Amino acid sequence: MKRSIPFEIFRYAVILLALAVTLIPILWMLSMAFKPIGEWSATGAELTWWPNAPTLSNFRFIFGESDSSLIVALDRTALKPILSSLLSATLGTLIAMTAGTAAAYGLSRFGSGQNLPLALTQLRLFPPMAVMIPVMIMWAFLNLTDTWWGLALVYGIVTLPFAFWLMKTFFDDMPRELEEAGLVEGCSRWRVFTKITLPMMRAPLASAALFVFILNWSDYLIALLLTTREWVTVPVYMASLSSSMTGQLYGAKAALGLIAAVPPVIMGIAIQRHLVRGLTFGALKQ
Amino acid sequence: MSVATASEDAMATLAAEGRAVARDEAARLGFRLALPAQILVLFIAVFPLLMQLYISLTDWSPLSGIGWWNAWELWNSFANYTDLAADNRFWSALWRTFVVMIVCVPAEFLLGLGLATLFADDFPGKRLFYSILLMPMMVVPAVAGYMFFMLFQSGGPMNDILSALTGTRVAIAWLSDPTLALAAVMMADIWQWTPLMFLILLAGLVGVPEDQMKAATLLGANAWQRFTTIVLPKMKTIIIIALAIRVIENFKIFDTLYIMTGGGPGVATETISVYIYKLTTQDLIWGYVAAIALAILLVLSIATVFAMKRMAAAREARA
Repeated sequence: MKRSIPFEIFRYAVILLALAVTLIPILWMLSMAFKPIGEWSATGAELTWWPNAPTLSNFRFIFGESDSSLIVALDRTALKPILSSLLSATLGTLIAMTAGTAAAYGLSRFGSGQNLPLALTQLRLFPPMAVMIPVMIMWAFLNLTDTWWGLALVYGIVTLPFAFWLMKTFFDDMPRELEEAGLVEGCSRWRVFTKITLPMMRAPLASAALFVFILNWSDYLIALLLTTREWVTVPVYMASLSSSMTGQLYGAKAALGLIAAVPPVIMGIAIQRHLVRGLTFGALKQ
Repeated sequence: MSVATASEDAMATLAAEGRAVARDEAARLGFRLALPAQILVLFIAVFPLLMQLYISLTDWSPLSGIGWWNAWELWNSFANYTDLAADNRFWSALWRTFVVMIVCVPAEFLLGLGLATLFADDFPGKRLFYSILLMPMMVVPAVAGYMFFMLFQSGGPMNDILSALTGTRVAIAWLSDPTLALAAVMMADIWQWTPLMFLILLAGLVGVPEDQMKAATLLGANAWQRFTTIVLPKMKTIIIIALAIRVIENFKIFDTLYIMTGGGPGVATETISVYIYKLTTQDLIWGYVAAIALAILLVLSIATVFAMKRMAAAREARA
């Protein structure tokens, strides 16, 4: 449809405004991450939008180098929280994808596990805060509190609905000729699943896994409740970065925020095609 | 001939048996495939819920010095539930959660729908703009909370922009003012989740058949008429799904909010999740927390069942 010139001007004006609103918070953190301490906040003076003297000292600081302009040194570096986030999100993704893919295939092909769609939808609906008391008690009992594997187990369960629904729609959409050919050839159904179906579904599996990983990586509340010291994740560690001596460590936090924010944004762009499907539980496809 | 029928019968029996074996194999495999998910659901949903119910009828807390299974020693019947009915802080947190929802979800919906209509046809730069506009929803919510925490500092960029626009020196302490803190928290939520509405609604808009739109244009329908008579009815399901997702997620609001204000100043931005969190980690009255959590779960479950019935009825009516 041909649009008029005034419409095009209107469209670009609105989009530019939306882009500005979208980018300002992100750019502010980006610039903060490279600002030396003197430019962190405008106490009376002019606010600097872009660092006058860009520096990597914030990044060096969170990885343990003491900063002479700050009186405090960190009692622990960002290295272990990053490791904790990576490990727990990865294992959590593995658990959710394994259980979710298997159950989705069972339901899609053999109609097994009829209760799962409702159960998993309700699981998604509940605020995590409302089911954490028993989990905290159980985890303390099982010695899983403050471990990355204990956290991963919760992540695996919390993101199971997403893995399940995504894989179910992928299996439903998949042509079945090859599977049937495999059965005629005399393969067992298990062999058909592992040797024919799964290899064919490599790309959808990867997208679903990335989607689930982003969700796990983004968690704050669960890690806040289940990790206390040894295995705190990046968001929990970031929130704890302030001291009574210096107040908010703006630059250091921004540097850490940047490290936390970059992987999911890149992954999200990589799986843009499947975002709608994942977010709507497969009810909608792009 | 009789031999032939006999062998045909035998073949048929064999085939039937073969099918039965195959069915059996399928059922067994299906059961095994569903097993891990079933165990996880049992482990996180069914067992914990029973445990939560038990604890909610007691005064148990992690400081009681007895294991949770001995919580019956602190039995208080339904005192936690009657306390809940009289807990003003609970009701105001619930009310605040609804206020946030009533402002944020429609704002996200309208902004997302508006942007989606602008993206319905092709124009130079569309793909790049699209990718950038989706970015906020991929930012870790806790980090987004920190971004907005910085933006709304009294010496921060928000006031700087306002100063530039108004020409006077603006120094609002956003996060220490009860009303403005709530507004700031809502703005952060709208910033982060409008892209989700935009994404879903655009996927729906693209599905609206082009030829119907052209026909309507030829018949003299203007843009608004085309929108209300063709686009909106076609998108009804998608709109309901998008709204439902945001209502559910918004009700849980915690990460961004807690990082920005910690529920403060005072209790000015304390939503239901923040309230439960504080009771859990600061007051440590877990029996009471269990009661609140169960009450919320009960209401949500009834709402889900009701919503699912409505959806099933709508589906049947259409068929």
